Amino acid sequence: MELTINGVQHHIDVEPDTPLLWVLRDDLKMTGTKYGCGLAQCGACTVLINGNAARSCVTPVGELGSAAITTIEAIEQDEIGQRVVAAWIRHQVPQCGYCQSGQVMAATSLLKQTPHPTDDDIRAVMVNLCRCGTYNAISAAIHDLAGDVGQEGAKK
Amino acid sequence: MTNRLKKIFAVVIPASTVLAGGTAWFVTRLPASSFENTGSQGEPSAQLMARGEYVSRLTDCVACHSVPGGAAYTGGLKMVTPMGAIFATNITPDRETGIGAYTLADFDRALRSGVAKDGHRLYPAMPYPSYAKLSDDDVKALYAYFMKGVPAVHLENRKSTIPWPLNMRWPLAFWNVVFAPSDVYRPDTSKDAQWNRGAYLVEGAGHCGACHTPRGLAFNEKGTDRHSAAFVSGALIDGWFAPSLRNDANTGLGRWSEDDVFRFLKTGRNDHAVVFGSMTEAFNNSTQFFSDDDLRAVAHYLKSLPGNAQRDGTPWQYEPTQAKALQPAGRQGIPGAQTYMAKCSFCHGADGRGQWEWVPPLAGAASSLVPDSSSSINVTLNGSGRVVAAGVPDSYRMPSYREQLSDRDIADVLTFVRSSWGNRGASVTAAEVKTLRKKTRPADSGVVVLKIN
Amino acid sequence: MRNASFDAMAMSDVPVNLSRRRFMLSSAGIAAGAFVLGLGVPQRSARAEATKLRGTKVPAFLEIRPDSMVRLQSPFVEGGQGTFTAMAQIVGEELDADPATFVVENAPPGDAYVVMDNGMRITGGSMSIRNGYSAMRRLGALAREMLLQAAARQFNVPVEELTTQPGRVVHAASGRSVAYGDLAHEAMSLPVPNPANVKLKEPEEFRWIGAPVPRVDVHDKSTGKVVYTVDVSVEGMLHAAVQHAPRLGMTIQGVRNEDQVRAMKGVHSTHRLPGAFAVVAERWWDAKRAAEAALIDWQEPGPDTTMRVMPADFSTEAFRKELADAHGPGEDAETRGDVVRGLKNAHTVVEATYASQYVNHAQLEPPSALARFNPDGALEVWVPNQAPDMFRADIAKRTGLPVEKIIIHSQMLGGFFGRHFLYETASPYPQAITLAKETGRPVKLIWSREEEFLRDTLRPMAAVRFRGGLDRNGIPVALEAVSATEGPTEGLNNKRGDRLDDSALEGLTGKSYDIPDRRIAQHFVKSPVMLGYWRSVGNSMNDFLYETFLDELADKGHQDPYELRLHLLRDNRRLTTLLKSVADLSGGWKRGPFTAADGSRRARGIGMASPFGSEAAAIAEVSLENGRVRVHEVWEAIDPGKVVNPAIVEAQVNGAIALGLSQVLLEETVYENGMPRARNYDGYPILALNQMPRVHVKIIESGEKMGGVGEPPLPAIPPAVVNAVSTLTGRRIRSMPLSRHDFAS
Repeated sequence: MELTINGVQHHIDVEPDTPLLWVLRDDLKMTGTKYGCGLAQCGACTVLINGNAARSCVTPVGELGSAAITTIEAIEQDEIGQRVVAAWIRHQVPQCGYCQSGQVMAATSLLKQTPHPTDDDIRAVMVNLCRCGTYNAISAAIHDLAGDVGQEGAKK
Repeated sequence: MTNRLKKIFAVVIPASTVLAGGTAWFVTRLPASSFENTGSQGEPSAQLMARGEYVSRLTDCVACHSVPGGAAYTGGLKMVTPMGAIFATNITPDRETGIGAYTLADFDRALRSGVAKDGHRLYPAMPYPSYAKLSDDDVKALYAYFMKGVPAVHLENRKSTIPWPLNMRWPLAFWNVVFAPSDVYRPDTSKDAQWNRGAYLVEGAGHCGACHTPRGLAFNEKGTDRHSAAFVSGALIDGWFAPSLRNDANTGLGRWSEDDVFRFLKTGRNDHAVVFGSMTEAFNNSTQFFSDDDLRAVAHYLKSLPGNAQRDGTPWQYEPTQAKALQPAGRQGIPGAQTYMAKCSFCHGADGRGQWEWVPPLAGAASSLVPDSSSSINVTLNGSGRVVAAGVPDSYRMPSYREQLSDRDIADVLTFVRSSWGNRGASVTAAEVKTLRKKTRPADSGVVVLKIN
Repeated sequence: MRNASFDAMAMSDVPVNLSRRRFMLSSAGIAAGAFVLGLGVPQRSARAEATKLRGTKVPAFLEIRPDSMVRLQSPFVEGGQGTFTAMAQIVGEELDADPATFVVENAPPGDAYVVMDNGMRITGGSMSIRNGYSAMRRLGALAREMLLQAAARQFNVPVEELTTQPGRVVHAASGRSVAYGDLAHEAMSLPVPNPANVKLKEPEEFRWIGAPVPRVDVHDKSTGKVVYTVDVSVEGMLHAAVQHAPRLGMTIQGVRNEDQVRAMKGVHSTHRLPGAFAVVAERWWDAKRAAEAALIDWQEPGPDTTMRVMPADFSTEAFRKELADAHGPGEDAETRGDVVRGLKNAHTVVEATYASQYVNHAQLEPPSALARFNPDGALEVWVPNQAPDMFRADIAKRTGLPVEKIIIHSQMLGGFFGRHFLYETASPYPQAITLAKETGRPVKLIWSREEEFLRDTLRPMAAVRFRGGLDRNGIPVALEAVSATEGPTEGLNNKRGDRLDDSALEGLTGKSYDIPDRRIAQHFVKSPVMLGYWRSVGNSMNDFLYETFLDELADKGHQDPYELRLHLLRDNRRLTTLLKSVADLSGGWKRGPFTAADGSRRARGIGMASPFGSEAAAIAEVSLENGRVRVHEVWEAIDPGKVVNPAIVEAQVNGAIALGLSQVLLEETVYENGMPRARNYDGYPILALNQMPRVHVKIIESGEKMGGVGEPPLPAIPPAVVNAVSTLTGRRIRSMPLSRHDFAS
């Protein structure tokens, strides 16, 4: 079957119920998308499908058809994604970094849909888990992009 | 004493004695078996054994008579009744603890009449009212399989916890007279062979009604065959609502084709639904092992059972209005919508439509349309056991949310689900969630397939 | 980890393997094939100069490339705590090279990289910066000295005339300068100067130490470029998954459908391992499904097993009662005065039992390992670890290979929190090695999240019987704590040491409150589960147990908990300053309950801790929402003595607060019938973004001996929260997590 990932068509030969995550990681060697739980609980595997955050561990490739898939590998080629990464660096968000591919994808999706998210919007949408506890830095970075710097979570 | 009195006594006392004696005889008598005078069966043929094993798949004996980790058919499954717990028995051919000493007639009486070798009445948790319809040939094959194909294991049965006097079994003899059919399946000559085979499987061997037919006050199935509108019309059992298998468009199979039914029973999934709850065990251990012909017969027969449009209401149609409400700003004002997006939407979709046959839709699902919310609550609290088709476990499973969501959260999200995308199941209360939370346990995340040998 | 048995092994000086270097180079995001200087150079000259001082083999650590980029082999593993950046700052400070020009990697095993004074190499116990600080500064200074000497030769001037600017040696007199990159080749072949004579900077001169320098790994971590062990791939590699025995100690009796499993799509082979069934396949997804599909009959272990066997009837609920009912005098861990007399003479005696729960590490990266046997007989293992030498020694023991033949690759860790110590039954690498051997191919084994929850080691449970004596003014004058527990170190060694396990009691011990008569003791109760270190180890629970009981004492004595703590610390200037700082940070101590601006009823609680050489105090503000505790604000003051990177410290405080909140609000590992009930995050919720409070951090540099940072901010959080909840509800809460308590009524 054919998949369109980061603007490139890939031919893959797998069962249609194979999760996108493992096609990315094992077939296409794109390991920036992480396996955390395999159960849509943590969000480390988040990618964009037609611009919306999706959890690739619960996305059967047979469902995708011609959908445009964007992974973390191409995030800086996306205008909003690039801004998110820059904010992530400004706010020094990552600690261990393992969940951050997913966090960056989720934030990009949020900002595509809601350019000026409120604190409530961020709490509603940013549901990916981070065991290092970078949540306040994530909120601050997104607020920064939303032009809403007054509300950031972490204050000294 | 006057003569008149004497006369009365002369009549009443013997009559009472006869009545009492008759009652005693009735409740302890061994019912007739077609195999009463059949002698030893000798060594069964391989073909008969294979047939017997197949029948055991149809009748799904293993579902109750084995437990995970236990030896095949040694019993032990705990069944909780309002009076106390009972335990499925050892049906291996062990002579002391199993059924090794059973003759074919003894076996037949247990299977089709619910009477053990020693004459005690089985609880109708054993679906003998359905098995009564089994043909003599299938009974014979099943007996051959259990005597020679199943390894004998010496394991004592566990005593039921039902206290005296409720543990007396003889009243069941009367129950049987009223509620249990006592005749084998008689083909309906107005129907074709496939239909009749389907009826035999659904009403008899497959005992679908045991879960899917509502029960009366005496724990009796309200209908035991196609002649009753109550038959497989949906029922609450063990914390799950087993939906209607009739042509109800919303709460039954009305929107399913015969092929949908076939695929569901063969692979555990189709575009409408994926097996979950208690059906997982029935699928893992039984229906997928039916021959294709038998499954098509089941589908053909089920699709012939009329629905109840009055009860079911106008057929469900998808309503796309919810999409806008699920934007971040919108959903914060709708109870349950945020939980849906955070916990459910990644698999079931913001549109509620699931993902093809891999993740079931919630839009239009029977569990979201039926007034009883037990299945919705149960699967949300506990997730679902693994669906294992042809030896391969499912790629995607339903997680358990009992540790993440409060009773109120679950009530809200299910009320949202059951009122979105055209769904119109009743709203869910926190109290209902609380009750089921206490009575249920999270599903096993690993594969559970019961041993049959 | 302090009592962990550690084989002092003969570290080799074998020259590093270049192909592996190239791998690491590319994994660090640098174009492969860059001209490598320094590391290819035999280290003999450096070794000849080595003295007893640790961490002086400059070429082993540093490579300066022609473009003056500095590659540093870090003796401490990076797992999110920021140690790579701190190492770059510390070395860069003395080397005079901007940390931004550093590429930092995990160093391979070897004596050269043992820089801690205790002779061990472990990343843990919040020890890296405080124990590596001096050695790494010295390393930078030595390297700078070598560059100066090389420049002196090149310019033909006395070395005294040379100075440095970041990345350059400067000869001011002639106006000449040369980039480090142009000197590296010559500099690194010079003998390492005598470390005893090297001059270090005065702290006033620091340019990078003490500054909020940006982390060196943030861009890679924000764009998915970091290669964790789970991501590594080598040519010809197969993927493996396992199904573990449901209870530890059980072994395979039979596999009912092994032929069917072998025939599943993509399956290469199946393998029966000790306590596990493995499937090797072309893709991990195929391996995982096949491993799950296996229907295995497990048998109980024989009587001669040396393993810690999990009994079929074990439940945490029953164990909780067993601990609470375990009475015994206990063994003294810390005593002062005479607690018997103190309690006897007390005006009031308060008795209560407090309890903690098992918790999982739940780091986001599932455990994995990749093993490859090379044609030359060497074994390469990629393994997440906090101590590469210990892992290498263990692999040598398991395989019979000499350590020279074992190459350990340490990738960055996708979180660890204590997960990647050498845990005999909780690590996939022994399985990966066996599978590589049996298949003759490189094999990468990943434990699914479900298998990880089944085999993870747990933070211990404890029930502590407290008795506190108050004088007639309500001031605590005597305190006894007897903890029924097993410590993580004695747990993972599966035997008790000659002395008590510090990690069992720290946080009950080491408190600074001036209570004249006191006794802290352990009543040993063996735990059936495998125990491990969890972020802030014993302190993670013991400060909760102690500090909440202290609030109970305050209540019984009609004391304000903040004022009481100030009183008990009146002669301790450092902690008085700390406590007042956190109160000031919160706008002044305000216990509540009070009504907040949004109309909610709120209260604040306080907790203190002295973990891992640092001091911390926290205040939490809570309310109840639909019967559940919501934490709105956390103020925390931390005094680690000295700070290398305040931005990283603040990030670590945020992270530790999150984990502390997660523990106190949500987390509990429940066992039933000998098995963990939760096998994924669905049944083991951890803190999410919408549960994260606002955090306010105050860093105090008291100038005391440098303490740790990664763990110390955690232990004060659970008691601060629970003390606030007790104030808000009027109910004394004596156990975690709060989700077990119903506040709806």
